[in-house]
Amino acid sequence: MTHEVIKHLLDDYVTGDLTEEARPPVEEHVASCALCSAEVESLKRILARAEELPKSIDPPADAWSNIRAAISRDESAVLANSPFTRSGIRQRRYTLAAAAVLIAVLSSAGTGLYMNSRSRAATSGTSASNSSTEATPATLAAFTIEENNYLRTASILQDLLDQQEASLAPETVAQLKASLRTIDEAILEARNALARDPANKLLVQMLSASYRQKVDLLRRTTELTRGT
Amino acid sequence: MKTSAVVSDTIGNYPSTKAEDKAAALERIRRAQAGDVNAFELLYREHSPRIYAFCLRLKAGDKSDATELLQDVFIKAWRRLGTFRGDCAFVSWLHRLAINTMLENARSDQRRTARVLPMDDTSRLAGAARSSGVESRMDMENAIASLPKGARLAFVLHDVEGYQHQEIAEQLSVSVGTVKAQLHRARRLLRERLES
Repeated sequence: MTHEVIKHLLDDYVTGDLTEEARPPVEEHVASCALCSAEVESLKRILARAEELPKSIDPPADAWSNIRAAISRDESAVLANSPFTRSGIRQRRYTLAAAAVLIAVLSSAGTGLYMNSRSRAATSGTSASNSSTEATPATLAAFTIEENNYLRTASILQDLLDQQEASLAPETVAQLKASLRTIDEAILEARNALARDPANKLLVQMLSASYRQKVDLLRRTTELTRGT
Repeated sequence: MKTSAVVSDTIGNYPSTKAEDKAAALERIRRAQAGDVNAFELLYREHSPRIYAFCLRLKAGDKSDATELLQDVFIKAWRRLGTFRGDCAFVSWLHRLAINTMLENARSDQRRTARVLPMDDTSRLAGAARSSGVESRMDMENAIASLPKGARLAFVLHDVEGYQHQEIAEQLSVSVGTVKAQLHRARRLLRERLES
């Protein structure tokens, strides 16, 4: 290997990321090249200084109280039931709130369906299954990919919604958050159950359905907020 | 069930390696997921120093912006706890939230740009190589703060926090080659600023 090639490998050489095959020629060159040798020593010094930096620094004392206040506002909003204040978008917001309630009901109904199916399966002594498997991944590996896609999409939509939150009526936001929390609880419940019983296809279906509900709710809400 | 290996468990582990401490940490997460704010506060007390140090570096040393980011991260964490699946360390999940929040927050970035040391202004860093101890650390922090955002992010994640190239690539949705290029650029600029 030439000097020109090797100088591009020095970062990986210093951090130990070179392959076993690539390392010896680089090592040999560095030993005989003053320029590369100096660069290696310089890189080592930078990395050593980075390593010495503190990994933890105490945040300002009032940071938690601000976080706690924001959490309290979330909780209060869920309980709030104030009337709409901006009449111009009243009808659209009613639609939003209704959609959020519908999703919450669907989610709860889904959880109930799952619990009932579990009971039936336990009674019959067979693994529970569901006939509507059309939209559900056939394998756990496929589900893992689908799950990651849902999580990524949900995260993007959630971020969009966070930015648009100010354009929604407080009671709509509260209802939406309550619905999302219901769905998240259903997701958590199904995930925990799946961790204990990874081969259970019904659980995969339940979890998959919950993810779809969440993404659907987030997507419809962000689309509607753009309209407002 | 492990569904993803995005972030290695070899970094960002729970502070104690004792099994009972890890179990207690998982229990705190579970309680917080169930809506227990006190449990969430314990999680905050446990992880906020590490996340704040990370936020400070992401925000180029601006304490006000870093505190704002820290608060946003933990508020988002509370709202999204239900999506934490336990397939990575909790602190890694918080790191990811911090990165995503920072990347979204364009307005804060614009404010920060005005305060960051310009790339061609090395006067403040003169003599850094001769100093030691706390001064040396501050010189290093200032030099990191002066890096372009992409290079700074790659350097902090890899050389300070210890994430692997692949993990950073997935966190930033870029290729491993891009991460390596940003790292190379960051180290070259740091060497120029600290050792020339």
